[in-house]
Amino acid sequence: MSSPAEEARVPLPAHLYVHVPLCRSKCSYCDFFSRADDGSVSHSELVDETVALLRGWLTPKVHAVPLETLYVGGGTPTVLGTDLVRLLREIAAAIPLAPGAEVTVEANPESLTRELADALASAGVTRVSVGVQSLDDAALRWLGRCHDAAGAMDAMRVVREAGMNLACDLIAGVPGMSAEGWRAALESVVGAGAEHVSVYPLTIEDGTPLASAIERGEIAAPDEDEAAEAMRAASEVLRTGGLERYEVANYALPGRESRHNSAYWTGRPYLGIGGGAHGMLDAAQARATGLATGDFNLGRLRYAYVSELLPDAPGAPFSLVESLTSDEAAREDAMLGMRMTCGIADELAEHAGVVRALGALAADGLVLSECGRWRPTERGWLFGNEVFGRLWSDAERLTPPHPRPRIVWHSAGVSARRR
Amino acid sequence: MRTNRTRIAQGRGVANTLCKRALGYLYCGRLRYPYAPMTDPALIRNFSIIAHIDHGKSTLADRVLQLTHTVADRDMQDQLLDSMDIERERGITIKAQAVRVMYDADDGNTYQLNLIDTPGHVDFTYEVSRSLAACEGVILVVDAAQGVEAQTVANALMAMNAHLEIIPLINKIDLPAADPERVRHEIEEGLAIPADEAVLASGKTGEGVRDALEAVVRLVPHPVGNPDAPLKALIFDSYFDTYRGVVALIRVVDGHVTKGMKVRMMATSTVTDVEEVGVRRPANTPVDTLGVGEVGYLITGLKDPLLVKVGDTVTLAKHGATEQLPGYRDVKPMVYTGLFPIDGDQYPDLRDALERLTLNDPALIWDPESSHALGFGFRVGFLGLLHMEVVKERLEREFSLDLLATAPSVEYHAYLTKGEMLAVHSPQDMPDPGHLERIEEPYLRVTILVPPDYVGPVMELSDQRRGAFKDMQYLSATTVEMHYEMPLSELIMDFFDQLKSRTKGYASLDYEYIGYRESNLVKLDILLASKPVDALSFIVHRDKAYARGKVLTEKLREIIPRQMFEVPIQAAIGAKIISRETVKAKRKDVLAKCYGGDITRKRKLLEKQKEGKKRMKQVGSVEIPQEAFMAILKVDE
Repeated sequence: MSSPAEEARVPLPAHLYVHVPLCRSKCSYCDFFSRADDGSVSHSELVDETVALLRGWLTPKVHAVPLETLYVGGGTPTVLGTDLVRLLREIAAAIPLAPGAEVTVEANPESLTRELADALASAGVTRVSVGVQSLDDAALRWLGRCHDAAGAMDAMRVVREAGMNLACDLIAGVPGMSAEGWRAALESVVGAGAEHVSVYPLTIEDGTPLASAIERGEIAAPDEDEAAEAMRAASEVLRTGGLERYEVANYALPGRESRHNSAYWTGRPYLGIGGGAHGMLDAAQARATGLATGDFNLGRLRYAYVSELLPDAPGAPFSLVESLTSDEAAREDAMLGMRMTCGIADELAEHAGVVRALGALAADGLVLSECGRWRPTERGWLFGNEVFGRLWSDAERLTPPHPRPRIVWHSAGVSARRR
Repeated sequence: MRTNRTRIAQGRGVANTLCKRALGYLYCGRLRYPYAPMTDPALIRNFSIIAHIDHGKSTLADRVLQLTHTVADRDMQDQLLDSMDIERERGITIKAQAVRVMYDADDGNTYQLNLIDTPGHVDFTYEVSRSLAACEGVILVVDAAQGVEAQTVANALMAMNAHLEIIPLINKIDLPAADPERVRHEIEEGLAIPADEAVLASGKTGEGVRDALEAVVRLVPHPVGNPDAPLKALIFDSYFDTYRGVVALIRVVDGHVTKGMKVRMMATSTVTDVEEVGVRRPANTPVDTLGVGEVGYLITGLKDPLLVKVGDTVTLAKHGATEQLPGYRDVKPMVYTGLFPIDGDQYPDLRDALERLTLNDPALIWDPESSHALGFGFRVGFLGLLHMEVVKERLEREFSLDLLATAPSVEYHAYLTKGEMLAVHSPQDMPDPGHLERIEEPYLRVTILVPPDYVGPVMELSDQRRGAFKDMQYLSATTVEMHYEMPLSELIMDFFDQLKSRTKGYASLDYEYIGYRESNLVKLDILLASKPVDALSFIVHRDKAYARGKVLTEKLREIIPRQMFEVPIQAAIGAKIISRETVKAKRKDVLAKCYGGDITRKRKLLEKQKEGKKRMKQVGSVEIPQEAFMAILKVDE
């Protein structure tokens, strides 16, 4: 039973993301925050400091609620080996897991052993997301992956055999991939028992080795039409395998949708921990943690830790703190909700002031309205930027300039690590 | 044509002026000579330095300032007389300057030399002619390596027509490639100017500069005028000072001008008081009086540059001269373009900026124009292409404007079946062909100087540009002078760049206006997704319409990004489609990846995309990048 004092305290988010910014080596297309695991960072210290960061959020003004979802991403969390198991146990010791919680760990084939898979399962992991990316050795080399197709197949098997749910990531539109090869890869992944598949079209991010190689003319830029065709093929093959699209890039067997990722798209607060990690707090949480002060129309607050292995940069642990008014938060919910097959309810569209924008998108065949909800069409999936961009920018009442909250960059709550 | 002329825009640019002014006072403090009132005309020499672009005119002027201690060495900056940044950077002179230096000559006398630096470009021919009218002689500078070039010829002819003493000066003799003998020969052969006594000089080392000044003292006649006649002074340039109003640069021909006099501008019949007269050394330095033959400035407090016109005569308000000095005319723009702010919110800023520039540049003419595709902007008339480029660059640089310029156009004369004539400055104004009797367009006499090896390429290019060959003549073994008659509209379409690239940079160009001629012209429209885009229309000779339409549609297909729908691009004359291309529909546009709940970045990307779209122009459902509007400026054939 909660004491009255506890009830006055603000509950923390029920979703937690933990970032492990290490990889065996960097892939050519990747601009996520991670570093090659070259031995310069002690795994056990990294775990200690990450847990200390998490505990730093547990101040007297808040109380932790049992976690509905926990997602350890990266980077490649599995490079930590047994330290990853300890990390999971210590997180659960700091904030308990709710019954039936979804606990996901990202893994790459080169660092996921049978022993580690078993250990993760016994530490409470319910779901492993394997970075397969491709099942074509030439394509994997082109992407700078440090595993081959056989290694990816092994990793998938190991996850299933350890009794955990299997999620796989695939990259669509890798140059040189034949249409048949792509369909075969999708079928193999389904055949390996994946209950969840994410299909991301290859994007060339600034500053990546791939971007420089294209700029130097060493390799050709990916063909947009091929990528579009690959995305279309993916939805077809996966549907045949029983996996339905529930988000622009995500497919799952019914009931196996990622609850953690769904929290991102439905405006539910989440904590993010570790260098480069992002979090979102509602207004009460932002105030209780001391991240925002002052009297203003705060809808939600987003933050990101500095992209350091450990956020010990003097002055501020955050590279970003951003406040959104309640209007902006509603608009964001509408935009994010339209990433999902279920779309958004009429009431949210109304509340967010995007009914007119949705009408214009419907005229272009990008969204449709049925049974009290707005949903993206097949064409809408392919032109997601058009849909999301117009919902965000063409809303009927854009927030007029207003006093922005005073943001406390260096709140007592989150600088615990340095005490 | 101009709106709201009397308004004096404030703000940007003022600081710049202030700096220059402060700099000017520093120079004042170090003057070597005090000012004696009214010098004996026998001790005055008024001269100009004329040259082809890049032959070293401004550097030479700098050396003259140093040699005569007009500017202390430590205050010397390169090309001191070119005060605009653009002038310095491009090494061109846009505004005339007049600086007085005191020179101790070998004959023991101290002479007052007035050096009038003229604009060195064909766009400003009228201004050059007025500057030359203020002189008795010129130094004709010819690069010792480059030799005689097109503007050398044009400038020399202008000086001859003004009956000026011409002192040839072969410059840059320090260059390894210098060949003074060949150049001397070219001057004699090509210009029929005796050059055996040409001054050999180097603006860079200063060698020969004193010889040049000695030649000026010895050869240039001193000014002659009647000190007792009523005042007659020629305005050869003017500029606008935020605090003082219009400042006129003048040369006194007869009589004298003194502070407090009442004077009249004869062409505009404007009567005003003389607030100040002075000389430029190079900072403005007041004097009591300017007498016969003297050059200086005149401030009257007039704020409207249109009342103080280059070429006009200043005389006394009462009992003044009855006849103007010869040669005055109104300058007319030759080239027109639409200038549109890329960000529509900058429209009022663009108007303010044009108003400000016009104060210093009365030749600039503008009128509001609106385009379906580009929104609100201005139709701006220029003296020529360089003038256009310089103005656009100043608007962008000095006023922080992002501008889009449409294809330059000339003034067409459209004669209607009803008998009236319509001056057409923009393709949009072209009357319906059914109402047209004929169209005339301005023609030029074009002079091209080129080494013999490149005669072929020049002929080929000129043929493509509807040039009618007139004659050619060998100036020397290395230089051929060719003459063509060509429509101005062909010249403003990338002609000079093409000429340079086809002759490896050797060709030089000059032209003069020779009048209007009838041409078989049509208006070519570009349609995107079946809708005409007004800003992409242009007027072209019928024989070239097909080729141009094809090149342009192909180019637009490359420039216009794929959109959600297929975009047909068509070129049409009236209702007739003459070429067609298609931009395929794009198949996807989505950033599916979302890194660990980083929604902020996702939103930022969408906002960036939106910004990118804002810089595109939306015509109907089609988004057109700005380059598309530039595409018609550069059409390789």
